[in-house]
Amino acid sequence: MKRLIRLYVNGEPHEVLVPVYRTLLDVLREELGLTGTKKGCDVGDCGACTILLNGEPVNACLVLAVEADGTQVDTIEGLAQVGEEGVRLHPLQESFLRLGAAQCGFCTPGMIMAARALLAENPSPSEEAVRFAIAGNICRCTGYTKIVQAILYAANREVM
Amino acid sequence: MSRGFSTIGVGHPRIDAIEKVTGKARYAADFSLPGMLYGKIKRSPHAHARVLSIDAEKALALEGVKAVLTPWDVPRVLHTGAPAPRLGSLRADQLVLTDVARFVGDGVAAVAATTEEIAEAALDLIEVQYEILPAVFTVEEARRPGAPLIHGTEGNLVMPPIIVQAGDVEAGFAEADLVLEATYHTGRPSHCYMEPNACLCYFDESGTLTIWASTQCAFMVRGILSEVLGLPLHKVRVVVKHMGGGFGAKQDLYQHEFVCALLARRTGRPVKMVYSRKEVFMATKTRHPVSITLKQGVKRDGTITARQALYVSNTGGYASHGPGITAVGTIDMTSLYRCNENWRLEGRSVYTNAPIAGAFRGYGAVQSFFALDVQMDELAEMVGMNPLDFRLKNAVGEGDPSPSGHRLRADALAACLRRGAEEVRWHERWQPPEVKTGRVRWGLGIGTEMHSSGAYPDIKEQSNAILKMNEDGTVQLLTGAADLGTGAHTVLAQIAAEELGMPLANIRVVSGDTDMVPFDIGAYASRTTYVAGSAVQRAAAELRQRLLALAGEKLGCEATTLEIRDGEIRRQGQVLLSVAELVRGEGGRPAVALMAQATYEAKVAYSFAAHFAEVEVDTETGMVRVTKVVAVHEIGKAINPLGVEGQIEGGIQQGIGHSLTEDLVLDPETGAPLNAGFVDYKMPLAPDMPEIRVIILEEAPDPDSPFGAKGVGEDPIMAIGPAIANAVYNATGVRFRELPITPDKLLARLREQGETDTA
Ligand code: FES
Ligand code: FES
Repeated sequence: MKRLIRLYVNGEPHEVLVPVYRTLLDVLREELGLTGTKKGCDVGDCGACTILLNGEPVNACLVLAVEADGTQVDTIEGLAQVGEEGVRLHPLQESFLRLGAAQCGFCTPGMIMAARALLAENPSPSEEAVRFAIAGNICRCTGYTKIVQAILYAANREVM
Repeated sequence: MSRGFSTIGVGHPRIDAIEKVTGKARYAADFSLPGMLYGKIKRSPHAHARVLSIDAEKALALEGVKAVLTPWDVPRVLHTGAPAPRLGSLRADQLVLTDVARFVGDGVAAVAATTEEIAEAALDLIEVQYEILPAVFTVEEARRPGAPLIHGTEGNLVMPPIIVQAGDVEAGFAEADLVLEATYHTGRPSHCYMEPNACLCYFDESGTLTIWASTQCAFMVRGILSEVLGLPLHKVRVVVKHMGGGFGAKQDLYQHEFVCALLARRTGRPVKMVYSRKEVFMATKTRHPVSITLKQGVKRDGTITARQALYVSNTGGYASHGPGITAVGTIDMTSLYRCNENWRLEGRSVYTNAPIAGAFRGYGAVQSFFALDVQMDELAEMVGMNPLDFRLKNAVGEGDPSPSGHRLRADALAACLRRGAEEVRWHERWQPPEVKTGRVRWGLGIGTEMHSSGAYPDIKEQSNAILKMNEDGTVQLLTGAADLGTGAHTVLAQIAAEELGMPLANIRVVSGDTDMVPFDIGAYASRTTYVAGSAVQRAAAELRQRLLALAGEKLGCEATTLEIRDGEIRRQGQVLLSVAELVRGEGGRPAVALMAQATYEAKVAYSFAAHFAEVEVDTETGMVRVTKVVAVHEIGKAINPLGVEGQIEGGIQQGIGHSLTEDLVLDPETGAPLNAGFVDYKMPLAPDMPEIRVIILEEAPDPDSPFGAKGVGEDPIMAIGPAIANAVYNATGVRFRELPITPDKLLARLREQGETDTA
């Protein structure tokens, strides 16, 4: 069985005919070609698929696409501003890049989206709050040191 | 070389970081083609079973199913999972789809369908009749007389035992005042790279196979695919863009790579296969569980007189890197600490029906150094010496033998120990366990390691590089070396830029397509900076010579009087013209193609490290918290310090996991993994990580390597394990000769100790 749903992905409306059992993650990746959101486990354990659903961080693998009908979906692809002067990175993207917080990069999109949700709620978090906010996002490469630094750096810059 | 560096030695963001932070980086599973099908593998639920028959009728009748493959529909070519030609040689013991399952999850059939969901549903409709065979999961069971023979080899040995000996062990023990013999065990950690194994295959009209894969060794994948599928090499193209980690496991080929190609051939359509996380846990690789019985003699003055060891690895259902790991793990017991060059070491690798163990960061040596460095602590106590002083007395240094057979060129290990001790204020803060009291107890411990950059002489290491000059002064760097997330390509670009005297921004790395780049054996053994980097440096040096010769001609002067800096040709500091002006061609004629190629066959260089771990042990809950790690690494020259730190921090994270929580647990009855998911297989998360202080020493640059640089990728994971185990001892007086140190084990041991204390 399929259903027609409407998603506002990174500000753009999409109408998609989806099987009722398909996850939002698979719809983003397979039907909309937005492969920036990663699948590390498909069962809600790793955070690689973190997106914002109406501004709230969620694991896209745990949401059925039909449940997301009518919502605002923000993914990593919508974060940088593309304008006349080219691509302007979001402060989090900028700090992840500069401080070496992306190694293999597979956790990076989810990590940045989780951090973005944190900073929206708490613009100047403590290190502990940062570590807690990304506790559901697994990274196997970095030891988290540079990720935490990057989030704190972006936060301070945003405050300034 | 007297001039200062312009590009290396400075922390650079990875050149591909922009793609990663914007979500544009494409990993194998991110590729799709029109008309693509999805493949899935049917896996055996039995650890050891013969496949009697397979009925695919119902599966084929399901709408959307396009093909089913059984063991009898695919080439029956025995091949090795581990492509690198190791000293321990290889065992070709795997089939594309097997008719004898040798571990829970062994692939026996495969399906391709129009959606992933249909492919999955079809798996349940494939009916397999098995004859269940007796299974063994531990080395003890597998070695028992009458045990089922998994591959028909005697005593289930993968290879004849490896024996390494020197001097006279018996005489050494006779000379000792004290002798200690103990057995050390390590667990079964899983690699847990975040990107599940994936590939996409298609055949074009000429019969050429293109496979987008996630592999550390693209040319090895090409070689084995060509062998098994019966295709010439020029008709197999392996493409690797970004990789979401590998840590050794993605050196091997897995069933999906063959099956996917065969399904694409059968259906005439592109086919994609992506492993589920559960499949990654059960059907890729783990680290080898190893037991090491280690015996050493020591004199009262702290001199170690002899070393004897038996290293036994459980390689699971297939050999993979079992022989190589066992060889390296055994030979590496000759290193780190002197023993008067008296040793007798034996290594055995044993088949069982456990999940396959393979290459994993630290390749066999993680286990050896755990045993060695924990026993160092024990010996220090026996002779009444401070563990630091005892290590310093015995640390290998200049002139001592190394596992590769070369003599070491520096006292770098002692330098690491000294620097770390100073940083943690060892002599002020270290106190023996007897004085520790209270519920939460603090402890400090040391672990050390040394590792060769590359696997020479076990592997005939070789890398190539091609540099192509463009007519605007920019350069394409063609390398076959993979970047599995380590930042290797950034380092290669830095080396090229430095050697050429050009800005880093002018170098573009072209990689990951076996049709375009020169051969490379693969990314493993901490070899890329050293071996591939040397090839790049040589090619760059040659290109620089050509540019200077051209400039000399053009300017009418001796090329030897010229140099290139910042992309400009200079004489005695004076800018004469830019490289762009030199190469752009004249009079409407295109520029002469300027290219340089170099091959590098590696020698051997050793990196060293000492880790100092601080822990807090809660004696009521048995929880161990690592509160700080000081990691001192001697790596010759850090080409990209930012990348080096990242490697060390990540290695420590994995090592903390291996030491405290990570272990793939098997059901003792069925051999099925009980914790094949991230909730039950617990890795350190952001709140679990301690402060890490990385100290990079550049005391012993290697004379043969690019700017003195040596490898670092594997080093950090080797030193941290013994550092934690020794710190736990220091905090509690409980000596762990096994990993991981979980709260249940620690509580039981504390209780035991309490009972004996009060008795
Ligand atoms: S893929 Fe969604 S949490 Fe892992
Ligand atoms: S950078 Fe590789 S998983 Fe985080």
